[in-house]
Amino acid sequence: MTTVTTIAPPPASSTTRARGSWHGTGRLFRLALRLDRTRIVMWTIGTAALVGVSATSIDGLYTTDAERLAYAQITRDNAAMIIQAGPGYGLDRPTNGAILMNEVAVWTFVLVAILGIMATARATRLDEETARAELVRSAPVGRHAGAAAGVLSVLVTLLVVGIAVAFACVGAGFGVVGAVAFGISLVGVGMVFAAITAVAAQVASTTRGTRGLALSVLGAAFVVRAVGDVSAPWFSWLSPIHWGQAVRAYADERWAAPVVSAAVALGGLAVALRWADHRDFGAGLLPPRPARATASRWLTSPIALAARLHRGPTIGWVVGVAVLGAFYGVVADQAEEMLADNPELADFLAGLGGASITDAFLATGLLVVGLLAAGCGVSAALRMRAEESAGRADPLLAAPVSRTTWAGGHQLVVLAAVVTVTVAGAFAQGLGAAVSMGDARQVGRVTVAGLVMAPAPAVLTGFAFALAGAAPRRAALAWAALVLAASMGLLAEVLGLPGWARDLSPFQHVPAMPAAPFRLAPVLGLIVVAAACCLAGLAGVRRRDLAVG
Amino acid sequence: MDVQEQVIRLRGVRKSFGSTVALDGLDLDVSRGEVHGFLGPNGAGKSVTIRVLLGLLRRDAGEVELLGGDPWRDAVELHRRLAYVPGDVSLWPGLSGGEVIDLLGSLRGGIDRRRRDDLVERFELDPRKKAATYSKGNRQKVALVAALASDAELLLLDEPTSGLDPLMESVFQDCVLEMKAEGRTVLLSSHILAEVEKLCDRVTIIRRGRAVEQGTLAELRRMTRSTYRVETERPVDGLASIDGVAAVHVEGRTTVFEADDAALDAALGAVRAAGVRSLLAQPPTLEELFLRHYGDAAATEADRR
Repeated sequence: MTTVTTIAPPPASSTTRARGSWHGTGRLFRLALRLDRTRIVMWTIGTAALVGVSATSIDGLYTTDAERLAYAQITRDNAAMIIQAGPGYGLDRPTNGAILMNEVAVWTFVLVAILGIMATARATRLDEETARAELVRSAPVGRHAGAAAGVLSVLVTLLVVGIAVAFACVGAGFGVVGAVAFGISLVGVGMVFAAITAVAAQVASTTRGTRGLALSVLGAAFVVRAVGDVSAPWFSWLSPIHWGQAVRAYADERWAAPVVSAAVALGGLAVALRWADHRDFGAGLLPPRPARATASRWLTSPIALAARLHRGPTIGWVVGVAVLGAFYGVVADQAEEMLADNPELADFLAGLGGASITDAFLATGLLVVGLLAAGCGVSAALRMRAEESAGRADPLLAAPVSRTTWAGGHQLVVLAAVVTVTVAGAFAQGLGAAVSMGDARQVGRVTVAGLVMAPAPAVLTGFAFALAGAAPRRAALAWAALVLAASMGLLAEVLGLPGWARDLSPFQHVPAMPAAPFRLAPVLGLIVVAAACCLAGLAGVRRRDLAVG
Repeated sequence: MDVQEQVIRLRGVRKSFGSTVALDGLDLDVSRGEVHGFLGPNGAGKSVTIRVLLGLLRRDAGEVELLGGDPWRDAVELHRRLAYVPGDVSLWPGLSGGEVIDLLGSLRGGIDRRRRDDLVERFELDPRKKAATYSKGNRQKVALVAALASDAELLLLDEPTSGLDPLMESVFQDCVLEMKAEGRTVLLSSHILAEVEKLCDRVTIIRRGRAVEQGTLAELRRMTRSTYRVETERPVDGLASIDGVAAVHVEGRTTVFEADDAALDAALGAVRAAGVRSLLAQPPTLEELFLRHYGDAAATEADRR
């Protein structure tokens, strides 16, 4: 593959040639829909469920105007809440719709942005990096047909997600107008990030690079709107996420705002198209840097390789979870105030024990940290499975490396990563709490609480390893276990689940520190279960055929 | 060292995936110090055999002996003594080629750095590129350098040159001949028959999971008719009626025919009676052996249907 990037003058294009570069888009679009159909369904169900469940829960928690006003008062003047939730449109005369938007809108925008980034990177750069696009382009299809079909498929996905979310809002008893506005704003934000990714795919020459660039833009967009929402509203307009917020769903809807998203998305796609015309197939505008010619002294064992493979994603999880933990910590001191007028929410948190509301809030924050750490663990365990199915376990196991060493190395590295993510999130939360309360002791007690929580995500990680070892074709079911544990932990009250169902989640068994006292037995029990799962996974790997493909 | 020592010995090995039978009673013998060609069409079971030999797959039935051990049970110990090049090399996209070579080398307990650098140079590999940017041929070079730089006594090579250009292929052939001179054993699965003819002492042809031919090239040739081209003073009489002579083709004074070794004496008698002016004998190429075998098999199957 060429590494030299040449900016050549565009080919003299006649009308027929210009039209020719789109030839075959329709057929490839149908192919893209066929290939993406599972992902479309999963994204739709996931996003709509997130919004729908939140809507139901808010409906149950805020039943009187007094409760809504109390919520509005706390959130509107709280910088940490604004950073998480946005400027709080409609909270001057709060409705449950406005509260719903304040609670979920920003995160749903981030979610559809990630959808746009992942799907577009796959449709553009990944297709080009693998030989697939070459095969397609050798057929009589136009130069832009493949990418155009991919982007159209992303648009369809976003439309389906937007419609499903709108239905979820309406289904939960919220107004139709706000639901439509929210749906449209989601499509707009998603498409802007799809266009940004299409541009990034021209700049970077690898899929990882493309995703990295686009995700960095997303991170910057989040920070820009957070800063703008807190201090200078005009600054927020520099962030694509704000263009979604500015629709003001369930407040005073502004129907002109989606036009900004649409214009920028189209502009971005036009830029990507122009740059695609000027570069070689497979090349990017950024030339790849030369890598190491020899391995470093420590890259000599299967466990070192596992550490290297899990390093990058783990750093991402640590940073993300730490930022979220810090938010929880910073807002913790206002929890008491926030909940004073809302007995249902206070009950929900205090269900953790008879502790202070602040501690109950910190414990809930740690639960979220632990669930995210479990997400890190499950995705890493499935990475081991992906190594196997891509045939990358073969060269290791054809060397004098036992299956136990190979899989055990992955297990040790991933469990260490899970503990690191949990403790880092807890430490950040403790730090945030210490700063906002002016109480340095919070750092220690919240970090210890995180350490005590760590066996719970370890159990879910172990379950993923057990599946990857003993039932590799069903390994993705580990995500279902995580979703189940998350709904048990966060929504059990709202959904009114019976006790035995809640007990299925490992998080139900960790002492909810700092709200509850430490108990050794359940922690040891979880460690034993996690270890047993890992051993079952090892036994599975040792017994069966290695499966490629 | 015992020349006849068996490095690989398979007897009646079976392996199925669900209802698909991949190996159906396979026998295979590879002796120490030989370069053994392993031929067969796509899907014949070559890669499955090699993955069974590596202990990546578990056989359903039959005996397998590799370097005197059981490839499933003694995998780690045996793998200290062998090196493997897969047909479809998949590398860690974030690692450079150089890193992968060193990693695989150090798993085997260290790598001869001079030999590694020499091979990198001979194969004209750029070790500083990330594996994600390598072409198929370059990924294959990475796996080849890692395997050839080791001091393994047995090399399992699964279509190792399918992505290499002719220049690199000849570098590869030189390397294999050097290995052979050092007394190492090579199992070479390949589609490139010229390569097998040049490198291999003995050949096993498999089809649908069974060995259908096994022997030295000379032995395989003896089982098949050679082609003869004669020029005679008078037209040759009675050739076609000799048992073991086929494909008789007469064009003026030139006669072309195929004959089994057993029928050769009778055939030459008939030719001599016509007054020989010149005679050209051509043993079958491996390609002819291969095609004839599969051609016949395909034909028989077509008849059966």
